[in-house]
Amino acid sequence: MTTTLGRIMLLVAKDLRIEARGRQTIAIVLVLGILIIVVLGIGFGSPGSSGQPVTGFQATAILWVAYFFGGVLCFEKTMDVERRDDALAGLLMTPVDRGAIYVAKLLTNLTLIAGLTIVITPLAVMFFRFDLAGHAGAFVAILALGMVGFAAIGTLFAAAASSTRLQGGLLAMLVFPLCLPVVIVSTQMMRELFLPGGQLSMPGLALLAGFDLMALTVGWLVFEQVLEP
Amino acid sequence: MNRTPTLTGHGPWNARWGTVGMQRLSAHLVRAYWLVTAALFVAVILMLVLYTPVDRGMGPVQKIFYLHLPVAISGFLAAFVVFIASVGYLWSRSMWWDDLAAAAGKVAVLYCAVILLTGMFWGRSAWGVWWTWSPRLTFSLVLFLLYAVYVLIRPTIDSAERRAVICAVYGIIAFLDVPLVYLSVRLIPDIHPSSISLEPAMRLSLLAWFPPVVMLMAGMIGTRYALNRRLRSAEAGRFSEAPSAGAAIRVSAAGGHP
Repeated sequence: MTTTLGRIMLLVAKDLRIEARGRQTIAIVLVLGILIIVVLGIGFGSPGSSGQPVTGFQATAILWVAYFFGGVLCFEKTMDVERRDDALAGLLMTPVDRGAIYVAKLLTNLTLIAGLTIVITPLAVMFFRFDLAGHAGAFVAILALGMVGFAAIGTLFAAAASSTRLQGGLLAMLVFPLCLPVVIVSTQMMRELFLPGGQLSMPGLALLAGFDLMALTVGWLVFEQVLEP
Repeated sequence: MNRTPTLTGHGPWNARWGTVGMQRLSAHLVRAYWLVTAALFVAVILMLVLYTPVDRGMGPVQKIFYLHLPVAISGFLAAFVVFIASVGYLWSRSMWWDDLAAAAGKVAVLYCAVILLTGMFWGRSAWGVWWTWSPRLTFSLVLFLLYAVYVLIRPTIDSAERRAVICAVYGIIAFLDVPLVYLSVRLIPDIHPSSISLEPAMRLSLLAWFPPVVMLMAGMIGTRYALNRRLRSAEAGRFSEAPSAGAAIRVSAAGGHP
């Protein structure tokens, strides 16, 4: 168990080191996230002009669109790294369980998505003036649980699709419908949070945890089958 | 295991049962199956028009319900077939499982589209709008999207093996998603009635709609599966005739065609 954990951490460190040296994924993902926020900002109009802050409904939509599209780009890029110079073939020849490779890729993706959310969320708060201060902890809990499930599905299909033409929009098309339960639950929970006196929904949290469990279990079990040098 | 389906296209069983006599018998059985299905449809439509009472509140539009519920249950059954075939493919790596999953996926999309459309007609009549984000309509939409993507994504993957693996994984997760979607949409505020009470004549009409709708679903899966087997067999033939041009030929069986 300790050896597996050590190997996972080694693989994550390898991926993050490559990212730190090249900064290719995070730079693209951040710019895409900012562009989405700007486009939606232009579409919704400046809250300052009418003096009205963005509603909870709009805030939730803005954030989730940015997270989802940025996330899909993360999944694609982190698998792209393995395609260069046949790195994946080398990785597959190492005596590491394929499940451990899956978890390592998942952790790398989650780290990058965390970087995306840390930049995008305050930016969206600043642009659209919605109030997160009252429920910061609950917001982070929903986001963390939602993103684990999303990344579990995304990492699996990015690995499966990396040897096919399923790149760009097609990967998003594959991942988004499967992650719709996460979107429905997270957006409903966030809307409730943004309401006056809003509370964190426990059934919602349980559903997100259930989705995470399902996605992680299936991902761990079938990753070996979808990975191809 | 190397399975070589024949051009009559009834899958792995043909290796054992592929005599001319058996093929004729199966053709007669298929014809009889479709005749029975068509006759049952005529009977339940007549029953709906002549026997089933009209709802006092909604009027004749309420009769959509007799189609809606059996189609919904059959749609889940088709989705379950996709799930079983996907697990079967990953377990055995036999391509006929993939052909079955592709066939059931298409039927699941068709049935989900009918669920969605009948739900929308119901909504228009009951609430005056074609669409509202009510839990059940949202659930139908998500279900439709899940299996529409399953069908649409198949032709975009060139390699038959990769297509089968990716679609099998997708088919498993999509089916496991269904209960989660069902539970998650319950967080959305509901305007649907929580329960519907039916008179005995109405209940009988509802039950009568199940056999033809389920038979149509099973028949369509079977027909599509047989066609997928033929296409794969034809593609295998093309490969064996022109091995040098193999790389240039796109394997399009089982969903690889429009």
